[in-house]
Amino acid sequence: MKASFDDIQPIFQQIADMTEDHILNDTYGEDEQVMSTTQIAKTFQINPATAVKGINLLVNEGILYKKRGLGMFVAPGAKEKILTKRRKMFYQEYVVKLLEEAKKIQLSAEDIINMIKHESEGY
Amino acid sequence: MGTILKCTNLAKSYGTTEAVKNIDMTLEENTIYGLIGRNGAGKTSLLNIITGSIFQDYGEVEIAGKKINRSEDIEDLCYVKEKILLFNHVKVMELLEIASAFHKNWDWDFAKDLLKMFELNPEKKFRQLSRGMESHVGIIIGLASRAPLTIFDEPVLGLDVIMREKFYSIMLEDYSNYPRTILMSTHLVNEITKIVEKIYIIDSGKILLHEDMDSFRNKSYYVTGNRKGVENFIEGKNVIQCETQGNIMIAALFDTINDKEMHNARRLDLSIDGMPLQKFFTYFVDGRNHIE
Repeated sequence: MKASFDDIQPIFQQIADMTEDHILNDTYGEDEQVMSTTQIAKTFQINPATAVKGINLLVNEGILYKKRGLGMFVAPGAKEKILTKRRKMFYQEYVVKLLEEAKKIQLSAEDIINMIKHESEGY
Repeated sequence: MGTILKCTNLAKSYGTTEAVKNIDMTLEENTIYGLIGRNGAGKTSLLNIITGSIFQDYGEVEIAGKKINRSEDIEDLCYVKEKILLFNHVKVMELLEIASAFHKNWDWDFAKDLLKMFELNPEKKFRQLSRGMESHVGIIIGLASRAPLTIFDEPVLGLDVIMREKFYSIMLEDYSNYPRTILMSTHLVNEITKIVEKIYIIDSGKILLHEDMDSFRNKSYYVTGNRKGVENFIEGKNVIQCETQGNIMIAALFDTINDKEMHNARRLDLSIDGMPLQKFFTYFVDGRNHIE
């Protein structure tokens, strides 16, 4: 859950990402109703048209569906869809950035692998 | 989407001062717009012309397809001026009653809720109100009228941050339920960036820019890093401000950056950050003044 928005991405994109996060962490289950665009607009003090744009992005991807007069609901299989999409993005968004930062501070790939191993052992 | 307001070639001079210079403005139905500009940029003159409060030298204004003539009652419009004049001896409730007579969509239940939310005593006379409370009255009239075109000139003047936040929330919620076009002028640039869908920037009586807030976000960036790297990166881009400190350069861009360029920037160790509207406004307006 995030309560504020950064300046670099369009807000509608950030609304869509936030809603996806809620589905990933099971805040919203399948066929459960998500926040209405009016509630989103009021809660985050954003323009309702922006909220609608963000939610429509997810409708177009089949992650949410609309029940006329009732609101927006999580589509069956939404979580899988988001996982597939996010995993595709993971390399570019996280691995590439991780390696760039590692290079900057002179860490080898092996150092990173050891850190990851160490971290997972901790759990 | 239809058009609620169409202005063509508006001009107005006071003596030798040109307050409004050939302004064209088209507002769509059911959209919230922000009008930003410095003091004396021409915001109030423009709004006064649009609403028929003063007469332009040239140009035409159409509201909901009807040409506007001066002093005519425009039923689709609610104009909340920065200062409500001529009503000093009238009670707040009486003022609301007057306003309600002019607006066919007026909602009394909502007006009464708003009186409570803004902690206003309806029995008080207008002249007994503080500056902030005067603004509250304007806000109540503007919102409760639910006019297809609602224009607020500096609606949050004199309001503290809590009351401003309250106003933004209530306006957004009511707009969701009863969509209409709202045009508001303000000095508080950063406060409206998430609230409005589109902005108009006015300076020296001219519209310098009108832009969708989403596309604005997609083309207003800071690029920071090693001077050579930044110089290479910004070549051919629309740079609105540039600052060098030793070997470090910060450039403010008003231009798009594609994925490949983003990636390149990261590789060159340049950082790319979003630029807040207020900063953009300062560079854009101030930069132009230096050039002219």
